[in-house]
Amino acid sequence: MVITKVGLDGHDRGVKVIAQALRDAGMEVIYAGLRRTPDEIAEMVLQEDADVLGLSILSGAVVPLTRKVIAALRARELDDVLVVVGGIVTTEARQELQDMGVEGIYGPGASLTDIVEFVHANVPQLRAV
Amino acid sequence: MNEIDPKMHRSALRHVHDQWLDSHRSELASTWKPSFETSSGIPVKPVYSPVDLEEKGWSYESDCGFPGDRPWTRGFSPGGYRQHLWEIEMYAGFGSAEDANKRYRYLIEHGSTGGVSIALDLPTQIGLDSDHPLARDEVGQIGVALTSLQDVEQIFDGIPLDRAGHVFTTANCIGPVAVAWFLALVERRDAKTSDFVLQVQNDPIKEYIARGTQFVPIEAAVKLSTDAVQYVAQEVPNWLPISISGSHMKQAGATTAQEAEFTICNGIAYIESCLAKGMRIDDFGHQIELHFCTEMDFFEEVAKYRAVRKVWTNLVRTRFGGTTERAERFRLHAATSGRPLTAQQPLNNISRITLQALAQILGGCEQTRTASFDEALGIPTELAARTSIRINQIIAHETGVPHTVDPLGGSYYVEWLTKEFERRIYETIEKTDALGGAVAAAKTGWFQRQLANGAYREQCRVESGEQVVVGVNAFKVDEPPPSQVFEVDPEAAERQIAKVQALRANRDQRAADAALARLREDCASGANVMPATLGAVKAFATIGEIGQVWREVFGEYQPQAERF
Repeated sequence: MVITKVGLDGHDRGVKVIAQALRDAGMEVIYAGLRRTPDEIAEMVLQEDADVLGLSILSGAVVPLTRKVIAALRARELDDVLVVVGGIVTTEARQELQDMGVEGIYGPGASLTDIVEFVHANVPQLRAV
Repeated sequence: MNEIDPKMHRSALRHVHDQWLDSHRSELASTWKPSFETSSGIPVKPVYSPVDLEEKGWSYESDCGFPGDRPWTRGFSPGGYRQHLWEIEMYAGFGSAEDANKRYRYLIEHGSTGGVSIALDLPTQIGLDSDHPLARDEVGQIGVALTSLQDVEQIFDGIPLDRAGHVFTTANCIGPVAVAWFLALVERRDAKTSDFVLQVQNDPIKEYIARGTQFVPIEAAVKLSTDAVQYVAQEVPNWLPISISGSHMKQAGATTAQEAEFTICNGIAYIESCLAKGMRIDDFGHQIELHFCTEMDFFEEVAKYRAVRKVWTNLVRTRFGGTTERAERFRLHAATSGRPLTAQQPLNNISRITLQALAQILGGCEQTRTASFDEALGIPTELAARTSIRINQIIAHETGVPHTVDPLGGSYYVEWLTKEFERRIYETIEKTDALGGAVAAAKTGWFQRQLANGAYREQCRVESGEQVVVGVNAFKVDEPPPSQVFEVDPEAAERQIAKVQALRANRDQRAADAALARLREDCASGANVMPATLGAVKAFATIGEIGQVWREVFGEYQPQAERF
């Protein structure tokens, strides 16, 4: 699984907490580092043969940034990668993300257990398709 | 039973102490929590007495002393807050310069005495202009957008510099530019540098460790930072050109003890870098500021501030070669932390802020910043900011807390904890030295891993309920979403972008180009970047243009992927 921040914000406490929770749940997790562009992120998913991509977006631009990352994945034919988004997501933004096919959306107060369970439950399904 | 003769020999006291423990074993074992420890994981005993201080080798003369005397544990001033109340600082900034200016004027009008404290937006902090393609979504969001000297002039519109008192800003990787902006502002206002005290955070190392606004390699960032320190030390002896900061590391997962330990290790790296430039600590020791944030473990916070004063001043004498008391008198700056504040039941945050403010005041901090109760929801509203000023005023005028100096001095627990913090700081200095210093340790991710582990441990404790956060995992209520949330004017970013573009179109382009060319030469030759940065700022070169020169000469920071 690749997990990353998108945008200028450098506070990566949350993303590293989630990386450790997923690691303890038996997943191999790579945190891509700060200020990665959508193309760099998609390239890393390709190189690492990742099943899941976690995006942490704390700025207000969740929807456009997620859209750009998904387009970069599509351009590499990585359509079956499970995309999970964490950050401050308004009700409207949530709807738009769901329209893009993003189902795992987590805001402040989300529990580590829920996130881990969601990833576990959804990865094998995708693989089976 | 168990009566103690004051003249009793200490070993006899220990005997009484052990007897007391023995006779109350069952009561002491019956507790509402399985174990008690500080937020840094230091086990806490049911009671502290002279026995514990004896074990630590504590003595009043060498470990505590009187206020205004070495080892400075009880503070730098003999009269403490009887002489001067702490300065009440309100950190603020959003939108464009005009928006921020209004808020600063509001805060000064309502009793903020700690000056103008400027939060910068992310593009500014990362050395990008507001109209850079990566910047647009972030302009004015978490702080004010400052792209050029023109913006800096606007934020001080209608605020006399001598009324500002202190001017603080979180310029870290852009430290030299912030210093240059204010030198240029003084010149254009026909004011004096002695009219106010500039405090620039200018601490890039912790950006690489925790905060993330770095944009050149770490060695270059330390060079840029210490260039600013050197220049200010020579030119403006009353300004504070660096504020070595623990708060961001703490908010990224450091314990309170680690906050103190790592900040002092970073401080050593800056001072040693300055000394390597030929500077003498006697000339600039008093211009160093250390900055920490105060969270919820009350006595641990008090002990931290007392221990930091003692350890840093000792390092000035024994490690940095200081020979004067002036060199030891660094500035201790504290801020209540936004992190423990909750979005749930936000009025509860008023009590959190009050307790944090009280802890940092009892720790003897000279300047204290106070967060606002709605910070977990967004940028503080005016009501919340004013309430935080009032918290300080209530402590100052209604509680009697400032009436005597260091009132917790001599508390067996606080003195014991102060000693324990001191021990931990020296231990971590030794470890960091063995890794080649703070810069080398940061490059290997040594600090970063400890912060990430700490953050994860805490999250797990909160989720399991082991750590209670009132209103979050206990004592919850159903509540409607908050009604009064501050929103940055959505047009502010567009205004700012238009302003930057107009500035570029209207300035003397040849002067700007020449100033940037000189900056490039000075950066490449290894000269101190300050004179050329000042020239560039005065020619209205923008933060992005100056940042771009640095990126081209020093290289661009490359993020590292990390495997978990």
